[in-house]
Amino acid sequence: MTIRTDRRKFLMGSSALAAAGAFGVMPSWAQAQSLRLIFWGGQGRADRTYGVTDLYKEASDTDVAGEFLAWNDYWAKLATQTAGGNAPDVIQMDYRFIVEYAQRGAIAPLDEYVGSALKLDDFDADQLEGGKVDGKLYGISLGANSVATLINTGAFEEAGIEPPTNAWTYDDLFEIGEAFNSANIRGGMKAISDSSYNEPSLDNWLRQRGKALYTAEGQLGFDETDAVEWYQLWAKLREAGVCVAPDDQALDTGPLETTMLVTGRAALMPSNSNQLVGYQALVQDKLDMCGYPRIAEGQGGGHYRKPSMFFSVAGSSASKEGAAEFLNFFVNDIEAGKILGVERGIPCAAAVRDAVAPTLDEANQIALNFVANLGDLLGDLPPPPPAAAGEVDLSLIRTLGQEVGFGAKTPEQAGAELVTGATDILNRA
Amino acid sequence: MTARSLESGAPLGERAATSSLWTRIWQNDAPGYLFLLPWFIGFFGLTIGPIITSFYLSFTDFDLLTSPEWVGANNYIRMFTNDPKFWASMRVTMMFVIFSVPLKLAFALGVAMLLNRGMRGLPLYRALFYLPSLLGASVAIAILWRQIFARDGLVNDFLSIFGIVGPSWISTPQYSLWTIIILAVWQFGSPMIIFLAGLRQIPQDMYEAASLDGASRWRQFIKITLPLLTPVVFFNAIIQTIEAFKSFTPAFIISGGTGNPINSTLFYTLYLYQEAFGFFRMGYASALAWVLLALVGMFTAFSFLTSKYWVHYDE
Amino acid sequence: MSDVPNRLTVVGERQLTPTQRKLLSVLTHTLLLAVSVFMLYPLLWMLAASFRPENEIFSSASIWPSEWSVDAYVRGWNGLRTSFSVFFTNSFIISGLSVLGNVLACSMAAFAFARLNFKFKNFWFAMMLMTLMLPYQVTLIPQYVLFRQLGWVNTFLPLVVPKFLAADGFFIFLLVQFFRGLPKELDEAAQMDGCSPWRIYWKIVMPLSMPVLATVAIFTFIWTWDDFFGPLIYLSEMKTYTVMLGLRTFTDSTGESDYGGLFAMSVLSLVPIFLFFLFFQRLLIEGIATTGMKR
Repeated sequence: MTIRTDRRKFLMGSSALAAAGAFGVMPSWAQAQSLRLIFWGGQGRADRTYGVTDLYKEASDTDVAGEFLAWNDYWAKLATQTAGGNAPDVIQMDYRFIVEYAQRGAIAPLDEYVGSALKLDDFDADQLEGGKVDGKLYGISLGANSVATLINTGAFEEAGIEPPTNAWTYDDLFEIGEAFNSANIRGGMKAISDSSYNEPSLDNWLRQRGKALYTAEGQLGFDETDAVEWYQLWAKLREAGVCVAPDDQALDTGPLETTMLVTGRAALMPSNSNQLVGYQALVQDKLDMCGYPRIAEGQGGGHYRKPSMFFSVAGSSASKEGAAEFLNFFVNDIEAGKILGVERGIPCAAAVRDAVAPTLDEANQIALNFVANLGDLLGDLPPPPPAAAGEVDLSLIRTLGQEVGFGAKTPEQAGAELVTGATDILNRA
Repeated sequence: MTARSLESGAPLGERAATSSLWTRIWQNDAPGYLFLLPWFIGFFGLTIGPIITSFYLSFTDFDLLTSPEWVGANNYIRMFTNDPKFWASMRVTMMFVIFSVPLKLAFALGVAMLLNRGMRGLPLYRALFYLPSLLGASVAIAILWRQIFARDGLVNDFLSIFGIVGPSWISTPQYSLWTIIILAVWQFGSPMIIFLAGLRQIPQDMYEAASLDGASRWRQFIKITLPLLTPVVFFNAIIQTIEAFKSFTPAFIISGGTGNPINSTLFYTLYLYQEAFGFFRMGYASALAWVLLALVGMFTAFSFLTSKYWVHYDE
Repeated sequence: MSDVPNRLTVVGERQLTPTQRKLLSVLTHTLLLAVSVFMLYPLLWMLAASFRPENEIFSSASIWPSEWSVDAYVRGWNGLRTSFSVFFTNSFIISGLSVLGNVLACSMAAFAFARLNFKFKNFWFAMMLMTLMLPYQVTLIPQYVLFRQLGWVNTFLPLVVPKFLAADGFFIFLLVQFFRGLPKELDEAAQMDGCSPWRIYWKIVMPLSMPVLATVAIFTFIWTWDDFFGPLIYLSEMKTYTVMLGLRTFTDSTGESDYGGLFAMSVLSLVPIFLFFLFFQRLLIEGIATTGMKR
């Protein structure tokens, strides 16, 4: 770390030529080259990203033309560009699509650049692992995050209950639910959103039982008994009025402003650690976070530190090495790290993380501390989900959960259908 | 299919026909083709290629990222024999077409008639009624609709005056499609404008004559307005139906692209979009598109065939 | 605004007593106003939301903001790296050219279909209708490949050139229906005088079709303005973005979003199309009524 910092100072105080040499970006410095970059996100993320591309232009004389879109628009455009043979060189990639793009050659393996253009010595091992598909490195993690339950502390205060901590269990959830029902605050606010069709909640619950959503071979990692029990658990929570009513929950269509937390119908909501900041901007009460509930006291292993998103290099890129050099700068440069902060998750390079930590505001501090101190909640990193995972989520997990909620199916029917349906989809793809 | 309805009157070049075949072609056919020249350039240069390609793709497995692979009629077979979501989405779209199109047209025609009377503030009303259609389908609309049709939304505030406690309309499977139908009807501005333009084209002296003959307003409407408006009614009905079959954006923004709750707003094209860009099955999506095209094509052909019985052109 | 009472009303109300007429007028206005309120409530909500403090937008039930602020407008206008003035300029260029293209190219094609006879006319008309029926989602990628080969990606060309080539069958069909409604005797007479088809199109059919041409202009302008999918796919640099595309970058479901800015800019984005509508709707009213066309 100290060596790196020195290099950084060296860069600041000397010519671009020497700096380029120090960072191993020699081969292309002399001739101004350009790269195209595409990512999803809002203006805040764009400002940070462009701050880094500006810095990179100074350091390497490489123009990086960035383009950003909202999540919902991103995938149609990326697919169109890729199919049209016009994919940008550097592509922001999500965990659930990386297998799809990698297996079809739309993004390139980066192994040959590791050690030369890409220096990943102090890069978190689990984050590196998370970017691998079939043993090859396809994506460089831009930050780690973890699933987390967001807590509306104001609501808890008003209801006169202690907010949950990382030690809490599903039994505690029942108690909190009762307390909220008897407190009856804010027009019947419930304890938690209906998470029965929230894929990460199911995944976390299965992992605590020693199962998983998917096996390393891309098959289903649980059976009908698990699925039925899951739906029964939530049927009970629904009946007891612990979670919100199904027609309220169905209002949540994805965007932050539609969620139960923002609309004030639930005091707790499963989410991700890096989203606290986004939510805090929309909620008047102060937000905090803790882990997902445990299935029994002291039972851990459900969480893992997940790559929030990756940068990948297009398979069709004419300057893969140049792209790899940019990636190296993006994740390893201290100044770049300070500009990026933890907006994409906790930085994966140790040196960058250390430099960034003291500069954070409160919401970001909460997120960083949570991810750094998962303790016994932390389990193994699961393999990247199979290509069809997105379809299983959209076509089955969400729909079946709703059907049970609205009473169109019993937990037993839904459990059976989840397993057969998911097996079908996995075998078709 | 369009044979009868398209026979327009006096062929311009006919009288000038002479002995030479070339002269005849030049005089008869050339003007038509010359006027169509821009359209031909666009059709052959830009439009037909992608259409043929999509037809070819419907017989392939095409994952967008690697080359398409020929699978014969598999996509079509699967659709009809082994795809409950195909039928579910077809049902949703059919419901939408059946209810939204007549409602929207009736509303549009009614308001257009009302606005066609000379009155103070006419341009203002016309603009006010068109305003919702200006909004298109944006993120803002999705948020607005939620404010109106959620449990604590405007509709239930209104119902509570009468002591009725309404559900969360937009997110209850039985009603969610209706909120989208209402959205479609609410944006009735375009057919209204077309009706208005049509009403304006009706020569006023016909009413004067009828009025002198002592015809009541209702009789005038039945005997003059409606018949003379049929080309426009015909146009609006066809176009609105085609558009309703293809309807995508309202469901996409309101359900966040999921078609939920419980697939109750899974429009046909939304399903198609999910298959194409969500699940990387452009081949299957293309097959879905061509089935829709066949369906809409049949409907349109049928409309044109029956149009000679009720659509009146001035000829 | 020209508020010329047309002859229909004069004729229709001749049989009514003044009191009846007054009553009818009051009734009509009441009805229209009621419908207007129903139509406009959502827009008023949006207007109010644009003046609201950010964290009150989704939690407050009242339509009246607790405090008024124009922050969102200031923030929104320069909220993206490129100012909204650039987006507005781009939208004006694209929409304006589209209006010109559609009015010219579609009316020519419609004139051919409605007033001329030529071989295979019905076949070509059916082809034209077919292009209306295929969902654009499946032709998107082949079209992208085509435009890329032409080198048009990241320019306005894919959005504008098709309009000059009458690519939108909707407008051809619309114009056909109206052109066929014009009295036949007109062009027959003109033909006797030795007018060419071009002169009939330009001197007779077009001037008599102002209401429908205004309709084409209005729809083209508004729909082009509202379209985001075309710009989304073909425009990559922010300095080429349209207003609608700019608006979509305000919200991202995965992170921080600026809803106040979104609403403020949404309100502003409505202003040009509303003004365009107000201006062109005069042509709708005047049109036939003032040309005094008789059969």
